[in-house]
Amino acid sequence: MPTIGAVGFPASAAREHDLELARRAANGERSAQRELFLEQRANVHRALFRILGSNRELEDLLQDAFIEIYRALPSFRGDSTLGRWCQTIAVRVAYLAISRRKPPAVDLALVEELVASDIDVRRHALLREATRRLYAALDRVEPKQRIAFALAVIDGKSLAEVAEITDSTVFAVKTRVWRARRDLMKRASKDTVLAAYLDELQGGES
Amino acid sequence: MTDHERLGPPPVEPMSDVAWSRVERGLWARMDAAEATASGAHAGPPSRRWWIVAAPLVAAAAVAAIVLGTRTTTQEIAVTDEPARVVSGSAPSSVSFGDSHVELDANTALVMDHEHGHPIVLLERGAAWFSVAPRKQRPEFIVRAGDATVRVVGTRFRVARSDERIVVDVERGLVDVQFRGSMAAVGASQRWSSEAPATISTIAGTPPAVGPVASAEAPAEPPAESSVEPSTETKTTSGPARTAPEPRPIAKHAPKLEAKAEPKLDAKAEPKLDAKAESNPRGIPATGIDTDRAEYERLATLEPNDPAVALTGYLALARGTSRWADLALYAAARLAADRHDRRAETLLGIYLQRFPDGANAADARQLLARLKSARP
Repeated sequence: MPTIGAVGFPASAAREHDLELARRAANGERSAQRELFLEQRANVHRALFRILGSNRELEDLLQDAFIEIYRALPSFRGDSTLGRWCQTIAVRVAYLAISRRKPPAVDLALVEELVASDIDVRRHALLREATRRLYAALDRVEPKQRIAFALAVIDGKSLAEVAEITDSTVFAVKTRVWRARRDLMKRASKDTVLAAYLDELQGGES
Repeated sequence: MTDHERLGPPPVEPMSDVAWSRVERGLWARMDAAEATASGAHAGPPSRRWWIVAAPLVAAAAVAAIVLGTRTTTQEIAVTDEPARVVSGSAPSSVSFGDSHVELDANTALVMDHEHGHPIVLLERGAAWFSVAPRKQRPEFIVRAGDATVRVVGTRFRVARSDERIVVDVERGLVDVQFRGSMAAVGASQRWSSEAPATISTIAGTPPAVGPVASAEAPAEPPAESSVEPSTETKTTSGPARTAPEPRPIAKHAPKLEAKAEPKLDAKAEPKLDAKAESNPRGIPATGIDTDRAEYERLATLEPNDPAVALTGYLALARGTSRWADLALYAAARLAADRHDRRAETLLGIYLQRFPDGANAADARQLLARLKSARP
């Protein structure tokens, strides 16, 4: 997938490619729509997965995201890469999905812990368990804060990138991440696995 | 958590090729529908405050659907013989399926397929009206929803599903419903519900929704059962019945399932399992009772609650010669990996030996590489 600054693919050529592909797809050219789908599906999937975690709605949401992308293509001006632009729409779709959801009534303290002996197996098990707890806790975080936290802390994007994707300001993103973290830490006060994982994630935060 | 126990960020689980093709199919079906009905109305440029704009847009779309009086015809999807998954959004849709017509309520998902020549609709969630032209000498129309199977030779009826609760309303004609061993003939203006499968009630007015239709908890993976034999009469089938994750050819023979100890997993024992599998190439529809498929779907349903039994079942199914052996073997390997069972790598190795071009070969390679890289 061509991206601005990619080696051997000048930014201007990438932009031309994006604009041309967007134009053809917006005109209803199915081959271009498919090309766009194949180019961007991993990108859109990653954005949705980072925000929502593993969930059974993902396939439907991917469809929703691409429907929205095709619908909005006439407005693509090439100000950002097509990939970043698609991520912005994926984030909107994720936001709507979160807003529709009811928070699950699972007490994290009651969630069974996995037991394993081998170090790597144990690490793998811990990662799965920590991830599950993290997303369970995120289900209770306000959607905009959740999105900011997921993109900045979990996905490792810079605050500026997150601001661009969410059509927001760096200051607003920073505030949301901080609030999400505070909320999560509060929820993790009785959950050592989650607390440790949050510590680790925040240590690597950009 | 000490330094040497650093876990890293949560992994982004890759989607299988099968899942991607399911997404793509549904996407094009929706795009076709939009192109057929929309008059070129596109959303405006992305707003700087999209979260303020997004909700009104959705509401406006819903209002537009109501104003236009398109309760069941907001989308018109032409369906070919190719299996297709159709998902309606916040507005109802309609689908032409051969000479039958399916009107989806909002937030409904279904898969349209053919099985032994029968048009078959697998209702994953939500509700839909089915207007089925008289079948005469043609194979009957089948709708599966949860554990209920509805077969019909020509009528108009509605099937609604919310998780495992199913309601069948018949406007005209007669359908037979089989549900967990019980059978019921439902006639015009009558209703059958999975909550009282032995009771047929009379419809007083407009059929209500079945609870929170299209809830987020609605099962997305669709086990299916296919004990369907061609007939021109209205009759029923039994067994677990939800939608298939991906339309696949039907197996001819089902392996004997072993209820004893877990099958041995050594590579030496495995080759004997697949000698016939190679002679059963993909893409050729088989006939006969498809117990393999039913068993696979049963195990998929069982997996979350009893993974150990599901794993044993998958392994037993993997010994068979049907195409479901491919899926079952990969499912066993994946489940073993999920359970940190050391046999996962062996199973994946066997899978790639048996099905180097299998539906899950790419995923198997990826999973195997991940497991190997995680080894000390």
